[in-house]
Parts: sequence; C-alpha cells; structure tokens
Amino acid sequence: MNQAGSSNQNYNQTLLEVRHVTKTFGSMKALDDVSIIVKRNEVIGVVGENGAGKTTLMKTLVGIHEPETGEWISNNKKVSFPKGPREAAQRGISIVYQEKGVIPSLQVYQFLFLGHENQGFCSPFGLKKKSMIREARKILAEFDIKCEETAYMFELPLATQKMIEIAKAVLSIRLEQNIQSDDSIIVLDEPTAPLTIEQRQELLKEICRMKKNTSFIFVTHIMQEVMEHMDRVYVLRDGKLVKHYNMTNEKVTEEDLTEVIIGHELLRTQGEAIQEASLFGTTVLSVKELSKKGAFYNITFTLNKGECIGIFGPEGSGKSEVIKALAGIIAYDSGSLTIGGLKAKPRDSAHIRLSNGVGYFSGNTEIELLHDWPIRKNISLLNIEKITTKYPKLLSFRKERQLAQHITKEIRIKTPSINTIVSTLSGGNKQKVTVGKWVEKSPKVLLLEDPTKGIDVGSRADIYETILEMKKKGTSMILVGDDPKEYITLCDRIILMKKGVIQEIISRTKFMEVVKL
Amino acid sequence: MKLKQTLSTIAAFIIDLVRKNPVIIILVALFLLFSILYSEQFISPINLTATLRQFVTLMLFATGPSIIMIIGSLDLSFVGIWMLGSTLLWVLMPYLGLVSILVIPLLGVTTGFILGIIHTKGKIPSFILTLSVLVTYWGVTSMLTKGHPNVVRGFSFITARLIPRIPTPFILSIPIIAVAVFIVTKTKFGTYLCAIGSNEEGARLAGIPVDWYKIIAFTVSGAFSGVGSMILFQHLGGSTPVVFNMNDLVRPLVAIILGGTPMVGGSGGPQRTILGVITFSILYRGLYLSPLIPQVIDLVVGIVLIIAIVLGSRSIQLKGVDIK
Repeated sequence: MNQAGSSNQNYNQTLLEVRHVTKTFGSMKALDDVSIIVKRNEVIGVVGENGAGKTTLMKTLVGIHEPETGEWISNNKKVSFPKGPREAAQRGISIVYQEKGVIPSLQVYQFLFLGHENQGFCSPFGLKKKSMIREARKILAEFDIKCEETAYMFELPLATQKMIEIAKAVLSIRLEQNIQSDDSIIVLDEPTAPLTIEQRQELLKEICRMKKNTSFIFVTHIMQEVMEHMDRVYVLRDGKLVKHYNMTNEKVTEEDLTEVIIGHELLRTQGEAIQEASLFGTTVLSVKELSKKGAFYNITFTLNKGECIGIFGPEGSGKSEVIKALAGIIAYDSGSLTIGGLKAKPRDSAHIRLSNGVGYFSGNTEIELLHDWPIRKNISLLNIEKITTKYPKLLSFRKERQLAQHITKEIRIKTPSINTIVSTLSGGNKQKVTVGKWVEKSPKVLLLEDPTKGIDVGSRADIYETILEMKKKGTSMILVGDDPKEYITLCDRIILMKKGVIQEIISRTKFMEVVKL
Repeated sequence: MKLKQTLSTIAAFIIDLVRKNPVIIILVALFLLFSILYSEQFISPINLTATLRQFVTLMLFATGPSIIMIIGSLDLSFVGIWMLGSTLLWVLMPYLGLVSILVIPLLGVTTGFILGIIHTKGKIPSFILTLSVLVTYWGVTSMLTKGHPNVVRGFSFITARLIPRIPTPFILSIPIIAVAVFIVTKTKFGTYLCAIGSNEEGARLAGIPVDWYKIIAFTVSGAFSGVGSMILFQHLGGSTPVVFNMNDLVRPLVAIILGGTPMVGGSGGPQRTILGVITFSILYRGLYLSPLIPQVIDLVVGIVLIIAIVLGSRSIQLKGVDIK
C-alpha cells in the first residue's frame, strides 16, 4: 500500500517521452515527426486508420524498429532508443502484440518466461522448471487467469491467451528491472480485436483495475473504448501526429474524433466524387438466407447491375466472412447464392466464382500481387485469355505490352516503365496495379475488401475514381471496409451488420445520418 | 487402498504418455503382432541384438536432424558427414593415429555451423541446401576413395563386446542420446527452438535472436551427427563408405516423423525420435523375419513414411496451426 501512496504523490511524473520520431520503410514514410508523452497511472489511446503508423510507433518504443531520427528523453537526458524488447523491458516498457505474439506449441509457463529465462531461471542442470511453474502460478493468480501452468497455449481460448500475454508483458518488466518499481508501461496493440464484446469488457475492466500500478498505451480502432476508458488520446494519420486530446478536461465527442482520424481534406474530395446512382436494371447477384456457423446468419439481399452495396459493421460483425464466402474463399453452410441466374455451390473455389463473373479484390497487396514480377505480368496474369492468340493458343507479348501500357496510362500508375518490378513501387502505386488488373478484367460483380487499405490520400482518390468509372460501365460491387467515408463515396445502399446478422439495409443519405458525416 | 492409488497414478501416467505419443500404440501392436507370428525368432536373443544394432544406426543418424526438425527445417547432411568423416579419418590415420577420429565431429560441427550461416543469412531453404551439401560430400568421398572400400584398423574397441547380447555401440550411444534429450527438453535453448518452430515471428517479437539460435541449432545438429558418426563408422563396418545408400538418408527421417516430430516444427525432438526409432526397428526386424522379399521391405517403408506424414500433419491441423 506504501507504493500506491508514493505513486499518488508524483501522479504527474513523466514515465516516457519520445520526440520527433521519424521512420521510413522504402519510400513510405511510416512515422513523420511524432512526439508522445506517457505519465504515471495513465491509459493513453493511440488511434488512427489502418496504415496510419500506430503499430510502427509501438514497435519503435520496444526496440523492434529503429527510427531514423528521434529522441528518447529519460530523466531530462537524451538516450538512445532501446535495441530490443529486453532493453525496453529494462526501461519498464513491454508490449502485447496485435497478432502473432502467441506461440501455440509452448506451455503457459514456458511462454510467460520466454526471452527472460536468464533472470534466475537457468542452471547448469537445465531450466528451473519447478520455480518457473511456481512463479507462473503466482502471476496467473494475481491476474486472475484460470488455466493450468502446464497447459499448451493452443488449447486455451483467445481471451485467456490475451490475458496471458498481458501477464507476460508485466512479468518481463519485473524480471528485467532490478529494482521492484511500479514505473511500468504496457503497450497494447489492438488487444481487443480478436475478442467478443463480453471478453472485451472483461479485459478493459481488468486494465482499469491495473491502472493503479501500471500505465498503458492502448492502440485501438474501437471508438467506444476510447471514449470510455482513455485518459488522453493521440491521433495519427498517414504517419503524422494530427491531434492530441486530454479526455478528462476536454469535451470530445465521438464524431469529432472520427473526423480527425479520417481527416477533413478527404471529405471534400469525396463530396465531389459522389454521383447519383445510375438506373438499376437486372439483378446480377442474389443471396438468400446465407449462413455460416459462427460467422454470419440468414444474409439476404440482391445486387443490381451497376449498383454498389456496402456491408458495414464493427470488426467481428461477420462482414469480412460474408464477402469471403461470396468470393469462394471460405465455404458457407446453408442458404443460396445466385449469380447471373445460375445457382452457385457452397464449396465452389474462388476460380470457379471468377469464371461465373465474381471477382474478389482485396486491398492487401501482399496477396494480390506477385511482388518480384513486372507490372505488365501482374496485369496480364488475371487477363491471360486476352493476350492469348486464337490458334495456336500461345501468349502474345505484343498484346501484353499494349494492355499494360493502356492500363498504366488510364489509371495513372506512376512508374518509369511497364517492366518495373512491382516491389519497387510505392504503396499507393502497388494498389493501383491491383486495381488495374481488375479494371481490365471487369467482372460482372467485383467484391471489394478494404480496397484502399493503408495507402495515402492522393492514391486513394485516384482509386475511388477508377472504381466509380467501372461502376458506371455496369460493374456491380460489394464493399467491405473500415472507413465510413469509403462507403459514402462508393455505395448506393449500405447493409448494417452486427454479430453476424443484418440489422438494416439503408440508403446512402440515411447512412450519412447514421454515421453523422 | 494405497496400492489402488499407486495403480491409478501409473495408469494416468501411461494414458498421458500414450496421448502425447500415439506411436506407442503402433509400437505395442507391432510387437505383439510379430511376437505371435514369428514367436520363436522374434523374441530370440539374436533378434534382440539385431534390433539393438538397428536402433543404434537409426538413432545416431536421426538425433541431429530431429533437433533441426523442431525449428521446422530439415538437415540431410548427416549422411554426408558420416561418409566424408569416415573418409577423412582414413586419409589422416597414417599421420595422426587414433586421434584422427576427432576429425569426424570436427567436420560435423563445421558443416553445421556453415550450413546455419548460409541458411539464415542467405535465406536458402534448408532442404535443398543440406541436400546439396550431402551430394558434395558424397562426391568428395568418391573422389578420395576412388570407389574402393578402405578398411581403417585400430577402432575395433568401439564394437568390442562388453556385455553379452548388448552391442557396445548401443551402450556408447546412450549418453549421446541423453545429452540430446536434455538439451531439447530441459534448457532455454530447447524452449527457444520450439518457440521458433511454432511461431518464428512471435519468437522474434519476444526478443529472441532467431537467426543466431538457428545457426546454433544447425551447429548442434552437426555436432550430434559428427559424434554419432564416430561410433557409426565402426558400427557400420569400419571402412570408408563406397556408395551412397538412399536408405541411410530416408530411414532416419521416417523414424523422426514416426516418432511424432511434425515437419513444420514447434514440438517433438530426440525424445520422441527414440520411440520412432524403436517402432521402426521392430517393424524392420519383423519384416526381415517374414517371408517377404527384401525389395518389398522398401515398399513398406515408403508406405509407412506416407502414412506417418499424413497422420502427423492431420494432428497438427487439429491444433489450429497453419501448414506452411
């Protein structure tokens, strides 16, 4: 109790201060002159869109990435950034990763001590398993985590795994710091993303309880969490720190915050881009009572020619599963899917759906592109029949070049030549290549999942323009994303989804009212 | 009352052991099958000795590679280390005498270390890398020996009989196996290898220098192959190997996979390989005693490998791990 008393005295003491952090990956500026401060007993929110640089910032704090420039201030002195997670832990900072942090085939006690065995658990006769298990039991009890110390990580539910990761983070600081102190900061990188709403609340409650002893940096997408639990909030956009709120003093509404996260500039360009929906003719795709256990239930809607429908909902609402089921990436359990009058089978794979006229375009360039191939090959691979000569069936490289040149010009890919290797392009231009191949393919129905994931504002506008152009020419679309503005720009109707069930199907104007943009 | 309690703890222990190592079921089944079919020959002392000899060969070959398989890589260089090591021993023998046997572990450690560096720094897949090293070593062996078996005298003490019926190489291999099992199951190093094999990115994020541990793993694997080859050299004839025998390469791998170390890594190791090797040795001896012609034995080995791989990967998928 003494500790709590002393920490109350210097409540405002700064635990961590970094200034002017800049980090680039290739030609992408991931962080641009970002400065943050963490004080004792605070929960700091870091929010921003995908690709805004949140995770990069967190990784520089724990020494996974080394920033190009930047200062780390400790006791009014400049020191270098930590070289790795262990050094960060010695300074009292530890992290819980968004994903990939859990090591499935280790036992709980092994995982808890991973990377810190040297702190008194090594002996010439191997690891001190007994004392490790004893310590593990203590910390599990302290965090009220109910599991066996010798259970394997993969056997445990996701929420328990997350809690164990947090326990590991706290433990690593305790082990690495020589003096027992409560000056610890735990970085949580979207810890609630894989959890259900109940588990989420459980975790947040736990964190608020632990705030007495520990400060938290909390990266999240979920506005509600920010509004309810954060003391201060930093907003990142395109690698820059755009706003800093003190939630206890300032009156901040959820709308204000959303607006700042997305940025005003974009709103204006989008306003121009909005076009009235063309007249809808025939139904090209209809979905009836589509269900997949654990993901979505009774999904019913029809998609007309030249129409774009958005499926909107929070992470885990099943929107992503629906679009993947339509694309043939995952199978659905029951219900019917009719494409252009033909009934599809639940287990059809993606290439069969594509031959029926349903294309799936993901904003994830990692899976869309062959990175060590030139632009022209990337575009022609999807349109291979267009560059094949009639008889004999051979590839025509002349046609391939023409095709690629045409596309490159049409959607303004900034590149020295069509022979440029895709991996050397910037993020935005990579994305344009993926759009380009789909423009050329022009399927009857195009499924868009996060089509502008992690790219800059300029390229985003170009891509929206291209997609709208395709729509005008009669391609129907279904969109799934994170950004409400994207829905407003592209969609005619919006399906609101929650917990795997359709709540409502509304028009664009109604949607603008709902999200208050 | 107390007896009942003891019995139930023993039963629980056995059930747990079998649950973790399903190969025990196959082992017991095969043993019973062959005992019934060929009761006289199979349980004879001669067959016991032969089975142990088979065990030594497979186990010493498989120890190093089973450590590498924990990190989800493959090390095929062990046969090469044995072949070239034996040949270098023959070359050096006239100059250095008995000390020259140390050239084999030295070759193993060096090979493993270099392989580890190339594998991690050059980002070369371990399968093709270690395979090419194996072929290279085989080439050097053929070149030096010119295709003749060359007997090296002076090491017959390795196979000299100490205890009746028990081959001495078996006794010698026990400490080697014990050290390997200890390293993998009891040390930080072993835990890190499991972590790397299970989730390499996660291990890196936990602050483990992944590349460095991979290099060490290959070095350790090479060391075990080298030390094992010192015994195997005499155990398998005491002369320089002449031809490359596919069986020397494939059978240890079958034993590792049969033992339950998944090819994608993350768990297992020499302790499971012991069970795999015993199972394989029993299978092999049983087939040997059967009226089947020798060529059929290779067919059976192939089928066993396929079944073991399929079952192994299924059990991993059930644990929710993606197959790379």
